[in-house]
Amino acid sequence: MTQYKDFSDDIKQKIYTIKAKLLDGQISLLDEDLVPIFDELRDSLNTLNINKYSKTYMEACELLDEKFRELVVLLNRLDEEKKFQEYLESEPSDKEILELIGDCWLQTFDLDYLSFDFLKESMEKLTHKISKPYQIQHPLQTRSKDKFILEVSKERFGQKMEEFFERIKEKLPCYFEELFENLPNQIEIYEKFVYILHLLQQGRLKYQKETKTVYL
Amino acid sequence: MNEVSMLMYLLSQRRNTFQIGATREEILKALNLTYKNKDIHFHDIIKNLADYLNPIGLHINFNPIDKHWYFNFDPELSNLISANPFQDKPKLAATLFSVLVASLTSTDAVKIGEIKKLRKKKGVLEDLKQLEKKGYLIINKDRNSVALTSLIGYQLDIQKLFSKLTLKLRKEKTKAD
Repeated sequence: MTQYKDFSDDIKQKIYTIKAKLLDGQISLLDEDLVPIFDELRDSLNTLNINKYSKTYMEACELLDEKFRELVVLLNRLDEEKKFQEYLESEPSDKEILELIGDCWLQTFDLDYLSFDFLKESMEKLTHKISKPYQIQHPLQTRSKDKFILEVSKERFGQKMEEFFERIKEKLPCYFEELFENLPNQIEIYEKFVYILHLLQQGRLKYQKETKTVYL
Repeated sequence: MNEVSMLMYLLSQRRNTFQIGATREEILKALNLTYKNKDIHFHDIIKNLADYLNPIGLHINFNPIDKHWYFNFDPELSNLISANPFQDKPKLAATLFSVLVASLTSTDAVKIGEIKKLRKKKGVLEDLKQLEKKGYLIINKDRNSVALTSLIGYQLDIQKLFSKLTLKLRKEKTKAD
């Protein structure tokens, strides 16, 4: 009975390695011996693995074709190198040579000042920003006896508000802005604004939105 | 740091006057590719990066002289921005071309006498000195010879140049026949 042997994966791996080295310019197929690959295929081929081996055989043949092409190129090139010399010996003008080379120049892209340290540092800064978002710290809450955090003397506030109310009575009705005239600073404006809000809430002052007028 | 940023750094670094980018071994080491199928993975990475950069007009190229992978701008763009370093110096370009052709048939450094014979023009030595200053070749005074540096491999599409020259010669031959 035929024993099932399958070395196709190993052989394929050898073919891929040769192809990779070829693409990389490390080797020339002309220097590569392909006979061992075909020997291995022949020696391990049998009726059970023939389907799988046929694909591997095709890949090995592609490599062989490529080797023939390289040989043709080499033979042509050997001839061409002599022709290039003959071309130069025919004394072409400098302008003609310049035109010949003209569109074969390449502009390289290189950065001699972009250091690896700079890239690394940039990456670290970026990942630092992403991984550590801003954290909101909430203040500690405490309870007062009157259930208010800010304790203000009610008597004093009321007294001051009444004094303010007496003063503005004479002006009313007037524009809302006029109630803040001649106030020396922002703190005073804020204080008087709070009194007006309280008086509005108590209904002792009224405000008409359309005309921006405060009245009694 | 991912593969793309690492490759961008490796392939864009200028080492010295005539060396840019990185070799395959340096790339594999930097990416820590040490396993069995690293060669296949290496080409996948290069190909994927090339596809990624193509829309912004950058190509990945291989310098066959010093085996370095590096970036270059799209050749069409190179023409637009006048990548030709010898635009107003046809004499220098012709001498460099002569050195290139002479180097093809020689496995060792090329004798200056050979260049003079090919050029058949005056001032070849002066041209060679200027080309040395620009980093394209090194003159060996003792041996009276010149050797190309790897710079030309980065700046000139040698394959394209010789294909053009071959086509030109074939056309001329067809006309003559």
